[in-house]
Amino acid sequence: MATYYGTYGQKVQYLASDPSDPQIGQVWYNSTSATLKVRELATVNAWASGGALPGVRSVQGGAGASSLSALAFGGFSATSAVTETLSYNGSAWTTLPATMGTAVYSMGSCGTQTAALSAGGATTPGAVQSLTQVYNGTSWSTPPAALNTARRLTGAVGTSSAALLVAGATPSATGVVESYNGTTWSPVTSLNTTRYALATSKGGTNTAALAIGGWLPGASASTESWNGSAWTTVNSLNTARGSMSGSGSGTQTSALAFGGEVNAPGNATGATELWNGTSWTSNPNSLGTARYNLASASGSQTSSLAFGGYTGTAVVANTEEWTGIEAQTKTVTVS
Amino acid sequence: MAYKYCVAECWGKGFITHSDSSKYQVSGFPGNVWQIPANNQDANLWVNKVAGIWKTKAEAQAIVDAEVTAAQAAWDALPDEQKQQPIGRQRPTAIVLE
Repeated sequence: MATYYGTYGQKVQYLASDPSDPQIGQVWYNSTSATLKVRELATVNAWASGGALPGVRSVQGGAGASSLSALAFGGFSATSAVTETLSYNGSAWTTLPATMGTAVYSMGSCGTQTAALSAGGATTPGAVQSLTQVYNGTSWSTPPAALNTARRLTGAVGTSSAALLVAGATPSATGVVESYNGTTWSPVTSLNTTRYALATSKGGTNTAALAIGGWLPGASASTESWNGSAWTTVNSLNTARGSMSGSGSGTQTSALAFGGEVNAPGNATGATELWNGTSWTSNPNSLGTARYNLASASGSQTSSLAFGGYTGTAVVANTEEWTGIEAQTKTVTVS
Repeated sequence: MAYKYCVAECWGKGFITHSDSSKYQVSGFPGNVWQIPANNQDANLWVNKVAGIWKTKAEAQAIVDAEVTAAQAAWDALPDEQKQQPIGRQRPTAIVLE
């Protein structure tokens, strides 16, 4: 009969209590509870409530790597556009001293908690903007780089110095896509399906990205994949939806789509779908508060954050934390 | 699927945990109304955890209706230029609980 020692060349640790910081794959015997335990990665794929924004916000910008490290900026309060910048630490939002040079909403947004990008958007009703604003962890600056096509309700992918801005409204729907190299925006190949208020794989790069859903003006389920030179239509979302500008997480091969507005105006959804590089799968667990015009961290399929938005009845301050996979200690049953 | 309803105020972190969400769906509606699956012991325990006050479907619907009506009145009172702001908001529509 094979033994643990024979297979792994090590003995199982014999401990009176569980270790305080077990590593993935670590196996030990808890002599107090007389149980064999293992630390392993477990699939969670669920939303949990997080600390609320300090005020209600919709059509914000969002950045950050995970539910533990996110940034929110700009957006629209119940009555006006704002310049504030907020930082999330995994449990609460803090208002940072840095404010955007221009109050903007419905912009493309991406990057990290300490290096974020805002591009395009609107500053007043009916207006569309071509301005770029960059956050360096301390303050916002407005570099001379301007979009070639001013637009709002657009989607961004990448970092504060290498990004892709996808489609939007001029205010007419456009499929224009532009690539940012940290200095200038350059037009690249347009989307096959013109649309606005779409989501993107915000954690991707300007050479590998996804454009997800949006308005045609009807709600779209269309997904397109970018390889750095061309867009390819790939498998569609299970739930067609729009009003997702500023949201979407993950990469070209591992993305997350959530929330939005389905075809009937004001009909918010909390539906969450996972992209595996080939197709979308509807997740059994949806956002606790269905909403659209929400924002998100750039995140990943493993960890992300959704915040603010409009439920169809009210602008909200809700934050929800997504966990795809987490480390768990499990008891091993042996016979 | 059959549902049950309660009223509880979301306090943020910890109100709904990943452990809760991975066992059953909690869905929020206007007026702090929360919908959970009926005949689910874990969901019943969640209502207890959040100090939720049980409501019948009719009671929950009345709360949601009142919130929607108030939101519609607030919308109707807005100046036209605010209604036309391109932020994706429309006059709130009725919500029918399942």
